Amino acid sequence: MTTNDSETSGIKSSGWKEFWSKEDWWAVWLGLGIVCLAYIFYLAGSSISWIAVAPAKWSTLSQLATQFSKNGIKYVALLAACLIVFTTVVSFVGQKPKAFIPSFIFIFIFSTIIYVLGSWDQANRYNLEPPLMALALGLFISNVIGLPRWLDAGFRVEFFIKLGIVLLGATLPFTLIIWAGPVAILQASIVSLVTFLTIFFVARKLGLDHRLAAVLGAGGAVCGVSASIAVAGAVRAKKEHPPIAISLVVFWAIILIFLLPLVSRVLHLPTGVAGAWIGTSEFADAAGLAAAQSYGNLAGTHLGISGTAEQALASYTLIKVIGRDIWIGIWSLVLALISVTVWERSETNSKVQIGQIWWRFPKFVIGFLIASVLTTLIVHGNTLADYNKLVKPSLIIPITALRTWVFTFSFLSIGLTTRFRELAAAGTKPFIAFTCGVIVNVALGYVLSIIVFGHYWSAIVTH
Amino acid sequence: MKIFDSLQLGKSIGATCQKCAYFRNDPAVIEDAYPGLTIMSSGFASVRDQDGFCDYNELYLSAGDSCPHFVSRTSEFDQGDKTIID
Repeated sequence: MTTNDSETSGIKSSGWKEFWSKEDWWAVWLGLGIVCLAYIFYLAGSSISWIAVAPAKWSTLSQLATQFSKNGIKYVALLAACLIVFTTVVSFVGQKPKAFIPSFIFIFIFSTIIYVLGSWDQANRYNLEPPLMALALGLFISNVIGLPRWLDAGFRVEFFIKLGIVLLGATLPFTLIIWAGPVAILQASIVSLVTFLTIFFVARKLGLDHRLAAVLGAGGAVCGVSASIAVAGAVRAKKEHPPIAISLVVFWAIILIFLLPLVSRVLHLPTGVAGAWIGTSEFADAAGLAAAQSYGNLAGTHLGISGTAEQALASYTLIKVIGRDIWIGIWSLVLALISVTVWERSETNSKVQIGQIWWRFPKFVIGFLIASVLTTLIVHGNTLADYNKLVKPSLIIPITALRTWVFTFSFLSIGLTTRFRELAAAGTKPFIAFTCGVIVNVALGYVLSIIVFGHYWSAIVTH
Repeated sequence: MKIFDSLQLGKSIGATCQKCAYFRNDPAVIEDAYPGLTIMSSGFASVRDQDGFCDYNELYLSAGDSCPHFVSRTSEFDQGDKTIID
């Protein structure tokens, strides 16, 4: 009898299978699919806005009730569409659809409540920022009330955030990426290198293993948990190394989600500048987007905060995704080379594969860039008046609404999956090393984002 | 230079971890083993490539690695009449 490899031993092979077995590629297919569908409807003189429903501003409960009696069916349709599409993805990547469906319905209901609360006209007065509400509510449910473990099947933080970033690409002009990309890469590279070296050398000074030092350094410098797990594989880390980095990244990322917007608010930073700082100093994509979106939402409602919500998201994404995330393959290659030639010469007889630069590349970035190019081409040739009157309401706003939904799913999922009791104990020495990196990262991020490139990030144009 | 001798184009072939009985890289297994992984990343992410656990050396490593303790999954760890396709 012959069976498939994954059925017998859990060994997953790569190659073409990547296209339907990795969440990154599914984020690309779905994100671009949505953009294309939106464009087809737009060309036909219609819009996907019917299903891309979002609560309008409301001030009384009767207004809210009227909204839901009118649009209730649209919310049900959106839930059904999400269930069909996401369950298909879950089945292809090898997760459990049976557990995913009730879990996702749970996420959708709570996300709707958060979205609705965020649309209340008094929400800003009470600091009810949807991303932070989602995170806080999720943390409360998972750590105080508790949920059965099987419900985790629907809390796919990474998948939702990657899909949201591809959709975000559709709302950013490609010219902005070309214009601001080099500065984003320069700023992020400086901070990444300094942060990595700080964590690495402090960890070594404290007597930690080379590989653990590298795993911690990558987590603080590049893209959080994803970087730690990628570098762990590249340098042949001990099994117990990644959980240490995961605990520290999660701990500091959650603190910074609240801290960076708070400090930015005290300093009255323009949204574009705050987004750049958050992109430079937050660790994980989802955590940073929660911080950037919550700060961006303050623009126009809080005195002294200039800019737009889109500027915060744009500068954040440019620095985090273009400046930091896409270099994970290079980091992995370099650290793997150092590992086999210097640190662990006798432990392995294998070579370092150059291909890992591509294999580890976060593929959703391709979707982000293509979505940006597509929208730029679609919008090209329209006057600003046409854009505001036709393109924006029919094409951009519905995509933005869907993006907000998947971001909310992700932010809520962060809280729901963060069970502080279950995180591995990091130990004092890794904590000290990582914390030194956090301090350097946040301080240097502040200097570069506000003092050196502040004029640049405050002026970015997102339409 | 030694550093260039350590580089390799393309995927490793032969007795690599991917084909070793001690190696496990199913994303669900990785997520179970590292409970915090899904908070801000995923076992199904591209950055993880095909990395997995080596239960012999107690390492988390690339599927393209190799070591002297290789045991083919189709020999000593053969599961009944199942043959593993690579």
